[in-house]
Amino acid sequence: MKMKRIAAAGLTAVMAASVLTACGGATSSSSGSTGTSSSGSTGTSSSGSTASGEQVTLKVSLWDATSNPADLAAIEAFEAANPDIKIDLIDIPSNDYNTKLNTMLNGGSQLDVFFIKQADSTKSFYDKGQLLDLTDYIAESGVDLSGFNGTADGFAFNGKQYGLPVRTDYYVLYYNKDLFDAKGIAYPSNDMTWTEFEKLAGELSGDGNYGAYMHTWQAMAYNWGIQDGKNTVLSYETGYDFVKPYYEMLLRMQDAGYIQDYGQLKSGNIHYSGAFAQGNVAMMPMGTWFLGTMKSKVESGEAKFNWGVATLPHPDGVEAGYTVGASTPLAINSATKNADAAWRFVEFMTGEEGSAVYAKEGYIPARSDSTILDTVAANEGMPEGLAEALQTKNIVPDRPIADHVGDVDLVLGEQHSMIMLGEATIDDALADLTSQVKDIMEG
Amino acid sequence: MIEKKQSAFTRTAIYVLLIVLTTITLLPLVWMFSASLKLDSEVFTVPIKWLPETFHWENYPKVWEKIDFATFSFNSIKLTVIITIIQVITCSFAAYGFSKCNFRGRDTLFLCYVGTIAIPWQTYMLPQYSLMRTLGGVDTHWGYIALQAFSAFGVFLLRQFYQGIPNELLEAARIDGLSEYGIYARIVLPLAKPALTTLTIFTFVTIWNDFMGPMIYINTESLKTIPLGIRMFLGQYSTSYELIMAASVMSLLPVFALYIPCQRFFVQGVATSGLKG
Amino acid sequence: MANKTIQGTNRKISLNTRNTVVGLSFILPNFIGFALFTLGPVVFSFILSFMKWDGFTEMTFAGLKNFQKIFGDKKFLESLGHTFYFAFFTVLFSMTAALALALLLNRKVKFVNFFRSSIFFPYVASVVAISCVWKAMFMENGGVINSALQMIGFAEDMLPGWIASTKWAMPAVIIVSVWRNMGYFMIIYLAALQDIPTSLYEAAEIDGASKWQQFVRITFPMLTPSHFFVFMMLTINSFKTFDMIFLMTEGGPGTATQLLSMYIYNKAFISWDYGVTSAASMILFLIVATITVLQFRVEKKFNDFM
Repeated sequence: MKMKRIAAAGLTAVMAASVLTACGGATSSSSGSTGTSSSGSTGTSSSGSTASGEQVTLKVSLWDATSNPADLAAIEAFEAANPDIKIDLIDIPSNDYNTKLNTMLNGGSQLDVFFIKQADSTKSFYDKGQLLDLTDYIAESGVDLSGFNGTADGFAFNGKQYGLPVRTDYYVLYYNKDLFDAKGIAYPSNDMTWTEFEKLAGELSGDGNYGAYMHTWQAMAYNWGIQDGKNTVLSYETGYDFVKPYYEMLLRMQDAGYIQDYGQLKSGNIHYSGAFAQGNVAMMPMGTWFLGTMKSKVESGEAKFNWGVATLPHPDGVEAGYTVGASTPLAINSATKNADAAWRFVEFMTGEEGSAVYAKEGYIPARSDSTILDTVAANEGMPEGLAEALQTKNIVPDRPIADHVGDVDLVLGEQHSMIMLGEATIDDALADLTSQVKDIMEG
Repeated sequence: MIEKKQSAFTRTAIYVLLIVLTTITLLPLVWMFSASLKLDSEVFTVPIKWLPETFHWENYPKVWEKIDFATFSFNSIKLTVIITIIQVITCSFAAYGFSKCNFRGRDTLFLCYVGTIAIPWQTYMLPQYSLMRTLGGVDTHWGYIALQAFSAFGVFLLRQFYQGIPNELLEAARIDGLSEYGIYARIVLPLAKPALTTLTIFTFVTIWNDFMGPMIYINTESLKTIPLGIRMFLGQYSTSYELIMAASVMSLLPVFALYIPCQRFFVQGVATSGLKG
Repeated sequence: MANKTIQGTNRKISLNTRNTVVGLSFILPNFIGFALFTLGPVVFSFILSFMKWDGFTEMTFAGLKNFQKIFGDKKFLESLGHTFYFAFFTVLFSMTAALALALLLNRKVKFVNFFRSSIFFPYVASVVAISCVWKAMFMENGGVINSALQMIGFAEDMLPGWIASTKWAMPAVIIVSVWRNMGYFMIIYLAALQDIPTSLYEAAEIDGASKWQQFVRITFPMLTPSHFFVFMMLTINSFKTFDMIFLMTEGGPGTATQLLSMYIYNKAFISWDYGVTSAASMILFLIVATITVLQFRVEKKFNDFM
């Protein structure tokens, strides 16, 4: 009896503590977002004092930092330019990044600045009040948002900017020059339709070679479906008929042996980089993040062939240069105690200096123009003609920055495997998908 | 033991059966080992190659270089040993209270213990994290130890074993004037050796392989553990399976080193205690 | 409290109090940590199951809405079904395999320690590594398992698709799960087997009982406490299984191997709906608690009967 009472008392204390901390987080966030303007106005004076004064340490979270030299180089450059700020990097395995990031943000001021791995989840961070409003900082520092070619717009909510993109990756077509030469076929041009791509893949297949490699992601169908910019993965009202032609294409190619079997790739844990590096794949649509990896694979001798890059094939009736991509934004935790220093970090990373570092390492920064693309292409070991291939007319975001994208993505993935494994027909799967997405969006 | 003279036939049959079963069980390990000696692009080939074309022993030093394996191993060993010790002590204590002491509310309280075992960690991860942050235990070893050391499961496991110890034995000791603590130390503990070993191995393996816990709670490089190190390879854009396998093989060694001497004590230690059920 | 009571009951009460104090002193060292770091957060999430909360902004009372939501969710019911399917066969086969192996290895054979250790190995290996290996072994064409099946005469079109097929994915993960579990539970059975007095078998031998009769009449019943224990541990673990399936199939193909634990994870970290997460966890809790209570009842009856 007594024991029960003690236990109950203990429990209440614990619960009170956790409720308090949870609510504490909420209140501090709301006061944080309203108080930003004032902290912004005092920003000038305080940033002046930090510059001359004591050392500030910023906690910054990032995924797979060790395998991504560009981020590290940019951070190093920042530290060199700002000796009063030290960056404490929290490196998280990429598969667990979202889980850990969210837990840490829930813990309040554990973090100052964070990279957002899936741009579409920015909205949910915003909804939870975890993002610091950057609008005043941007105005004060005179940051020119037009340099981001529109990729920053997605991170503005209700007219306020909550994040700035660091990198913008988009899809291009990688190809194995040796396989084209062996068959005496001309290299893919920067203006090719998906129909032509499929035909070309057919010509290149055989003798143990595959005409193309399509990775196991649902992006390999949806990205081409939304490439014209008319629909998004949330457009359930269309019944998803815009992806149907691409699923048909994938299945045709899979049945004909132009591409490796989806089931085999899945069971074999095949990673696209290894698959392409093996040398028996002629073409692979993949993001620009793969440029640096491919370069080092050639340098290390793991890939022993000449490679090239062309602009992503486009749907019939869509201009060449329309591609699909995603930005990686940097955001500041609304609960940070070092907002000014954090802003200086964001400003540097997304500004001209940071962009130059990324370009030099072979990655495409969000703040990009033809000089930047030339710098990327001029990296040693990059293929010829890269600068032209990287030119774009329009980069359609692969996923909109909106509510429920995560839930929808999950369902897309489920139905994708059903189609690719032949466990459901395209029509059935898309119909099922439509009704599920409808429930999610309206529920 | 029980067997008398067995015919040569049964004996051979048993050996053949054992060898087949062991081979099947070990096949994945063999594959793991062979993959750890391959090139990245050779790991998954159809059909499976059991022998790498050339043995890439350099994968092992590569792992050693890429992740700070020495520090991670030290952390893994430190955390695992401390947690296992605290858990075995506090759980064996609590289990005695739950099985051999009578007081009101005991069973209700125990049901609380059992109940929490069934709830996936993901459910209460966030409130737990908030709490730990308030206490300043995030990104520290003591914080992680505090989380893992008071397992409900250990209490449940030991209680089940203690229940098998006949109450008459304890009554006799009580009549002889032994206090409850004396009974626990002199009678129950020696009898529960096999159960304690079971818990030791269970805890050791669980903590040794725990990935989610350190992933969420530990940020600083010098505090990380082996599973976190392995997971570092599994980045979405850089999958080096040969290194993952090499690291896995390396991570197996300490557990094996513990298990083999323990195993003897475990199974034979039981035979001599000769009291249960 | 004791002062106010009359002499007669005084002794009784003080005895009760003493028992409580002694009992608590045993429990307390563990309970403090447990209450703080596990029970507290769990109770908090129990409350959450009646709330609407995304983990950050203010929570609001939702009543039973979360429960209505999950029971209206096809995915929840589906994953509940999958969980029962998975748990039933995992428990059944793991117990059988563990017992069979224990019987086989409870004898004087050469290298017995080697055999025992080998069977135990899967339990120790890191899940990340073994799920990679098993995925490769389950490959439809050219995987070790299908190659072996083909060798013993299965026609090509009769080969299962394993993790690439909605029908066979669940059996595949059950196989891996049994493979992982059997070694540990074999050890538990082995320990119990060595406790059975040899005299029982000697007596049976004199009575002319066959090996099978000895197993049915002596070995199996003598192992009853272990059966209960192994059953309980396996049940709880199978209902919670997450890592291995997540790494092997991600719940697919489609949703063929999506278990309740994965549903809970998705609701927590993809939908940010902690109310629904907690509600689903409460259902999981109720299921396991029911099984536990039933098991205790049966065990008690069994013990009385013995």
